[in-house]
Amino acid sequence: MSNTRKRVYGYLAEFKSASALYKAAAKVRDAGFRKWDCYTPYPVHGLDDAMGLKRSILPWFVFFGGITGCATGFALAYTTQVVIYPTVVQAKPTNIFTIPAFFPVLFELTILFSAFTVLFGLLGLIQLPRLNHPLFASKQFHRATDDGFFIAIEARDAKFSPEGTRDLLAEIGGDNIELVEEEEN
Amino acid sequence: MSHNVTSADIAINGDHLDNSKVAKVKTICLAIAAIGSLISLCLLFGVFGKWWQGNFAYSWVFSFYFFLTLSIGGVFWTLLHNVSNSGWGTSVRRTFENLGSTYPWVFLFGIPLLFPQVNQYLYEWMNTHREATGNIKEHLHHEDHLMYAKYWFMNIPFWVGRFLFYGIGISVVIYFLRKLSTSQDTDPKPGTSRLFAARKHSTYTLIIFALTITFTGFDFLMGLDYKWFSTMWGVYLFAGSTLNSMAVIILVCAWLKSQGHLKHVTGPEHFHIMGKLLFAFTTFWAYIAFSQYFLIWYANITEETSYFLIRNTGNWNTGMIFLVVFHFIVPFVVLLQAWLKKNPKYLSIVAVYTLCMHVLDHYLISIPERGISLGKIDPDVFGQISTSIPGAFWGDILAFVTIGAAFLFFLLRALGQHSLYPNRDPRILESANFTN
Repeated sequence: MSNTRKRVYGYLAEFKSASALYKAAAKVRDAGFRKWDCYTPYPVHGLDDAMGLKRSILPWFVFFGGITGCATGFALAYTTQVVIYPTVVQAKPTNIFTIPAFFPVLFELTILFSAFTVLFGLLGLIQLPRLNHPLFASKQFHRATDDGFFIAIEARDAKFSPEGTRDLLAEIGGDNIELVEEEEN
Repeated sequence: MSHNVTSADIAINGDHLDNSKVAKVKTICLAIAAIGSLISLCLLFGVFGKWWQGNFAYSWVFSFYFFLTLSIGGVFWTLLHNVSNSGWGTSVRRTFENLGSTYPWVFLFGIPLLFPQVNQYLYEWMNTHREATGNIKEHLHHEDHLMYAKYWFMNIPFWVGRFLFYGIGISVVIYFLRKLSTSQDTDPKPGTSRLFAARKHSTYTLIIFALTITFTGFDFLMGLDYKWFSTMWGVYLFAGSTLNSMAVIILVCAWLKSQGHLKHVTGPEHFHIMGKLLFAFTTFWAYIAFSQYFLIWYANITEETSYFLIRNTGNWNTGMIFLVVFHFIVPFVVLLQAWLKKNPKYLSIVAVYTLCMHVLDHYLISIPERGISLGKIDPDVFGQISTSIPGAFWGDILAFVTIGAAFLFFLLRALGQHSLYPNRDPRILESANFTN
């Protein structure tokens, strides 16, 4: 019955408090792991520094998203109101100097495109939506939404080893260390 | 470094500026301000002739209002800090209060505006009012309908009354708020009562602030051309004021930090948030400045367009375009960088730059009116109506240096009076350990 092979996701370890997790995260970071994450019931300030997370690339997406929106708005307003069908309003010129009239459009489209790139860029970067996560196989993991502070180190990480990683997690104060295997499909 | 600050790191008797270190600068500033004021008063009251009297009146209102925006911005940040129940700003709050406390002193430099010798060149509507024999309103009815319609607001007694309100209102507010804050520094049982008192009294006083920034703008700057009006004017000046007082606050904090003060209680996180506010208000300023232009440009009403017609003529136009690019686009892109905002040194460079742009902004607000009004009032002395009066800019520099030196003197004086951060505030540790 249970002779099917399961893929190992990695080790999950529980920590007593946010402060213990914070200190442990710094040690995991110093040990050189890349593919790992912390799971807490609430945001812990400064944890991203302790984990050694780099600044997200998302702002750059948004920056270029905004520029695209601005350019789109300009092309839209300029083409329709100057090139295709010059619209004279209150004796205002129909050329590049009509640009103040386009500003609301430019502004709104800049915001809209920025907001879209934020939303979809974020979803893309954190790989959501997804139907399942390997960690859901763990019986204790649901406590991450209640009172559990967890660190999970993935088996995909180059530094991962079945014994070494478990010992490391135990050494830095992890309890209930569990080897999480992905559920059968 | 800024993490895990405990009460052991807080200076129990406060972090005091060594007054002997700044004594020299203060003396120089005071000397410049005193000599400058003396010369300025002579210029303003016609000792050096009518030409200087008229031209220098504009220099004076430009410099006076420029420094007033910086001071009143300090009051605004203090009020906002209290009313928003903010935790992050406690360690820099004293700098807000110190900047705000220069307000009464800067306002003193506005007193010459009360005298007909000075305001006859600035506010032409007052001349029409003074010319009236008998009933002023009746006189205006024949003279100028716009002035007649605006009489309920634009009349000299009410103007003087408002002047007193501007001077006294905010001065009283900042005096008591600062006193409330500094009295905590030596209180053996600080408690939280002052926190709640400050929050309570910052609510309705915020209305006094709003009235002061809006109506000083109306009376001192918009009044330069009584025909002109803009509904965005108050908020436009407010945007510039908040932005640039934050620039001053950043400079003061960075300087204090470089002198070894504000240790443990401020760090990159505080500069980051102040940089973010600088960024936010750069954008806000642009938003308001554009909105004002947009409304006037689109509606195309004669009374409204005069402002931009004057400023889009000749070299003023270069200044206005320069403002769009260098007051908004450049700082917008530069301040997007997070690392830059966390570094006091780089942020200070941006703050100095922002202040330079504010000088240009206010120069373009006050000065272009000079050639127009003076040419209208007395063409024999000032020449025909023109975009600018050659040689008058020396007066602008003198007025700017005079009031600037006084502003710096009173700011340094305020910094030296009390602890540089509220060392016994119940939230000082929260602020010191703040992360964003």
